[in-house]
Amino acid sequence: MKKTVIPIGPYHPLQEEPEFFMLTVEGETVVDVDVQVGYNHRGIEKLSELKTFDQSTFVIERICGICSTSHPFAYTRAVEDICDIEAPMRAKYIRTIIAEGERMHSHLLWLGLAGHFLGYNTVYMWVWKLREEILDIMEIISGNRNNYAMFKPGGVRRDINPDDIPLVMKKLDKILPTLKMLYKAVRDDPVLHARTKGVGVLSREAALDFSALGPTSRASGVARDVRKDTVYGAYHEMDWEMIVTKNGDVYDKVAVRILEMLESIKILKYCFLHLPDGEIDAHIKNIPPGEGIGTHEAPRGETFHYVRSDGGNGPVRHKVRAPTFMNLPTYKATIKGAKIADASIILAAIDPCYCCTERMAVSDTKGERLFDGRELIRLSQQETLKWKQKLGAVEPPLEKLTRGTL
Amino acid sequence: MRLPKIRELLEAVKALAVGPYTSKFPKKPHTPYPSFRGQPKFNEDYCVGCLACEQVCPAQAIDHTDTVKGGRAVRTINHYTDTCIFCGECEAACIAEHKGIKLSRDWDLAFFDRKKSYESIERELVLCEVCGGVIGAKKHILWITNKIGELTFSNPTLYQTRLRELGLIDNNLLEIKKDGGRDDRLKILCARCRRQTTVGG
Repeated sequence: MKKTVIPIGPYHPLQEEPEFFMLTVEGETVVDVDVQVGYNHRGIEKLSELKTFDQSTFVIERICGICSTSHPFAYTRAVEDICDIEAPMRAKYIRTIIAEGERMHSHLLWLGLAGHFLGYNTVYMWVWKLREEILDIMEIISGNRNNYAMFKPGGVRRDINPDDIPLVMKKLDKILPTLKMLYKAVRDDPVLHARTKGVGVLSREAALDFSALGPTSRASGVARDVRKDTVYGAYHEMDWEMIVTKNGDVYDKVAVRILEMLESIKILKYCFLHLPDGEIDAHIKNIPPGEGIGTHEAPRGETFHYVRSDGGNGPVRHKVRAPTFMNLPTYKATIKGAKIADASIILAAIDPCYCCTERMAVSDTKGERLFDGRELIRLSQQETLKWKQKLGAVEPPLEKLTRGTL
Repeated sequence: MRLPKIRELLEAVKALAVGPYTSKFPKKPHTPYPSFRGQPKFNEDYCVGCLACEQVCPAQAIDHTDTVKGGRAVRTINHYTDTCIFCGECEAACIAEHKGIKLSRDWDLAFFDRKKSYESIERELVLCEVCGGVIGAKKHILWITNKIGELTFSNPTLYQTRLRELGLIDNNLLEIKKDGGRDDRLKILCARCRRQTTVGG
């Protein structure tokens, strides 16, 4: 059979995470994939080495627009590792609150996009509306919807005003029933089952081989979570569950993320109700020469930071490893045997940044472009429509109106 | 199959009744939460012109120029709104009770001309009486004298500035002593000239 080569990316090097995927296709089935990363060298590590330890936090915060707390969290842990200093307990609680709020808004953003890729634009709209509540909570606590600027080596920069806590708790209570409704909707919908169950399966062995991290590994039955594996933040102070499922398909990845959000609400509520009194800063005076490593469970998996100090003002070496770097190659295991219509949702299931899937393009062997990112999403949405008609599901009027417009 | 649809229908009806989450912004002005981090603003009454904010700013959104304006040496501190990341480091580092530059709740920072996207504050400078170099902002030196109290009198630059500000020293008296020798030690001097008059002489 004639083989077709489909290059995906990297068309917008200015955007975050431009990766390159070369899909080899037989008819509609993907037989092989070549994943390449490293197209976007932003020089963040060097930039961080030019700044002081305090200023670096703000550069690190801007590595990713969505996990803008995960990187500072890992970085501050690395600097504290050099000094052998622990942040005060109140600071740890505030850090946990910010990190969990970020996990919630990141997962919600992903869930909305997954809905959009599958042709469920109502899910897209509802989930993003729900996400606004979380962003409001973050604004109340830190003063900004994103890029919270709360972290500093040795503690946090701003305290949480106790007067804000009732308002925040009210907002959290408002999110919970809608989130549960969404989980039930995902669990009951036969069309979603048809589109996601058994699609893009990452086996436990493959997850271990590729060193998959975060929800990608937990959906494949690998119980791997920095929050449980190490003691940091306030995670060890409360009861919460690590969500692990067995199948490793797209459905399980959706389920893991939704259930994780419910756990996040649990953690957030505990932290707000049991916020200890005391200092929020350990007041680090100088940072001795040495090396430190810091990790944090970002929404997508483990973020790893290595910082070396020579006793001066700023880091002399700073190494960052983001979770998508480990998760992206799993695409090689999941895409084989899948249909092109499933390509976008399988890639989206590992939760790379949106721009990755946006820049997809399909062309034949002569280099003529067949589909671009928009086309691939449309293809995916049509597939859902097909299943809907097959299973006799009634399409809501809003879906009809918005189909193909977004 | 039918029952779950009713559950989602309920949510749809609820969404219809509640309306969109977004505010009707151009018609209704938006008020951010009290803790919102907006544009940092200089405070004319508190800022001493010490440049601590410039030093800590991670985005280099604050800079300064020392110029002569109308026969007076003036330090102009600029804060550029387009490069500012609203992190609040300037406010945290401000020596004047964290009030010299303070984050406001201003968020509507749109502008047509990028060159105009800054705000500035002017502070009078104290110059070295021998070489004419910049020592610091007058308000900053006075702030130091207030802080260290009687220790001020261990440093001629500090107490001369202080006493002249209070009008206790006649400038004409100092003119007579201008001889370039060790008597210069009792003048307002920059660090280099002080070393010169003390050990280099």
